[in-house]
Amino acid sequence: MPKHIVSGLKYLTAVELIRDGYSQKEVAKILEMDRSTVSHYLNGRNLSWNSIEIAKIITEFCPKDFLILTYALMQEKARIVVKTCSNSKYKGKIKESCIGCGLCADICLMKAIVLNDLKAQIDSNWCCGCLICGESCPTNSIEILEVK
Amino acid sequence: MMISNTKEVQALDFEISRSAEEKRELLYKDDICIGCGICEKTCPVDAIELGSIGAIVRTGADVPKIVCDEDKCVLCGMCSVVCPVDALEFKIDDESIKDMDEYPQLINSAEINDDTCIYCKACETACPRDSITIARNLPDRSKLVTGEIDIDKETCIDCGICEEMCPADAITIEHKLPTPDDPTVSSDIIVDKDKCVYCLICKKSCPVSAIKAACRSCSYGEYDLNPEDTVTTGSSFIDHETCVKCGWCQEICPVDAATVVKTFKGELHIDQDTCQACGACVDICPCNVLSFPQSTVPGKSPEKVMSDENYCIYCGACDNVCPVKAIEVKRTDINHTPTKSKSWEKQIDSLKT
Amino acid sequence: MEMELKVNQDNCLGCGVCVVACPVNASISNEVAGGHGSKTTETIMMVENGFIKLFSPEKCTKCGTCQLFCPTDAIWLE
Repeated sequence: MPKHIVSGLKYLTAVELIRDGYSQKEVAKILEMDRSTVSHYLNGRNLSWNSIEIAKIITEFCPKDFLILTYALMQEKARIVVKTCSNSKYKGKIKESCIGCGLCADICLMKAIVLNDLKAQIDSNWCCGCLICGESCPTNSIEILEVK
Repeated sequence: MMISNTKEVQALDFEISRSAEEKRELLYKDDICIGCGICEKTCPVDAIELGSIGAIVRTGADVPKIVCDEDKCVLCGMCSVVCPVDALEFKIDDESIKDMDEYPQLINSAEINDDTCIYCKACETACPRDSITIARNLPDRSKLVTGEIDIDKETCIDCGICEEMCPADAITIEHKLPTPDDPTVSSDIIVDKDKCVYCLICKKSCPVSAIKAACRSCSYGEYDLNPEDTVTTGSSFIDHETCVKCGWCQEICPVDAATVVKTFKGELHIDQDTCQACGACVDICPCNVLSFPQSTVPGKSPEKVMSDENYCIYCGACDNVCPVKAIEVKRTDINHTPTKSKSWEKQIDSLKT
Repeated sequence: MEMELKVNQDNCLGCGVCVVACPVNASISNEVAGGHGSKTTETIMMVENGFIKLFSPEKCTKCGTCQLFCPTDAIWLE
């Protein structure tokens, strides 16, 4: 069952990526699939609608649950899925109280955070709004804002 | 979602580390720690606790001077930067943050200029942390004296008076028991010309005037002497792991060969009325700043505890340990490299009291 | 990890050196520090009935002076 859900998630991601202008070959490389499998998916073959429905429901969870579930299913490969299928974009604001301890960078599953000059920096392209970084920040220096 | 730290304890030292995107390590060496508590003050998550340093240092209790809670510690490295004696080392991916520009450093140093140093060893004796080692090579005694000595072995009666009187142990008589075929009491008398200083005591004390000797130092001395032969050479070494930059070497050096740069500027105040002369501050001070003065004039009591701020590094250990709050340490300036992080600048600045 | 003041009344000679040497005792009561104060529970410890007794150990700052002066290991920090 889990691998069917993963297929569903990969399908949704492939559809978005194609919509964003990527070629099937590029999508296959990003999702680590055969190009032929990508083509089958896009043509509605080798995939049940049920898997796709369940995957769609998962992408509509709150960002934290979407991320944690997808990460449990796909580990590092979850990043591109969550990035592509997220409904919103997010921006991270780091306050002056940041001490550069690096906990957020370590804990971020999307690998969206790096340290620069002892201050955290969040990449909006990858931030999925899960707020896990904010919860673990010892100085409460992270604010995540949804970009409409 | 938890990334937890691991803690390794070895005797009184500890190592806390976390491995994820980077490997962060905090290493604590208890024998370097001076109990100033600056790490405890600075820690942004209150993970560090200063122990009862008075009891620990004075009674030799087998207890570390600080304890760090690995569940609270976030491995930011602040304690390592503010520690005035480098008892806390912080590494990211096996590189010390001392080598990273984004981290501020406290500025301090202690150096001995080998060109000016005369290897008198005063600094080595004075250093309260035994951090200084001076190695010296003395000049050749034989090159600093000039003269002649000759013992007439025919006249010599082997009495041994010259051997006993010689202040430089330069005369050796090979004593032996006489035998019928060789009825003498010694087989040879030898003068070690490397040791002889031509003081002529042997000549003056010889009962049979067997010694011919002359000292040429007064008339020839300055001409015979090569200035290079009079110089003591050597080398100096300061162990920067244990050195606390107190300045004793700088103050005691008779030729100003030692230079010390201190991190903190400040003031030390002792309230002599409140002080009960328990000696905790004297025992805890890593820099020999404090002492119980000896009375020189009967009936005139000196201060209970005296201090010399020349050697003070304003660490505040005495302030921490005083049971009756009779000592106050103020820090007015902190010498450090800059950092772009506002929170770090603020924490370092908060060390001013 | 805080150290605590401990007494062993079996070892105690009742000599009172710790009472007199304790700098906190001295700052609370000059008479106690002089060795002839009347009984008070304000000081950290006093000799009562020939043995050392802790009255206000919470005032102890763990400086170790009593332990250094005690001739018989009757008072210490642990």
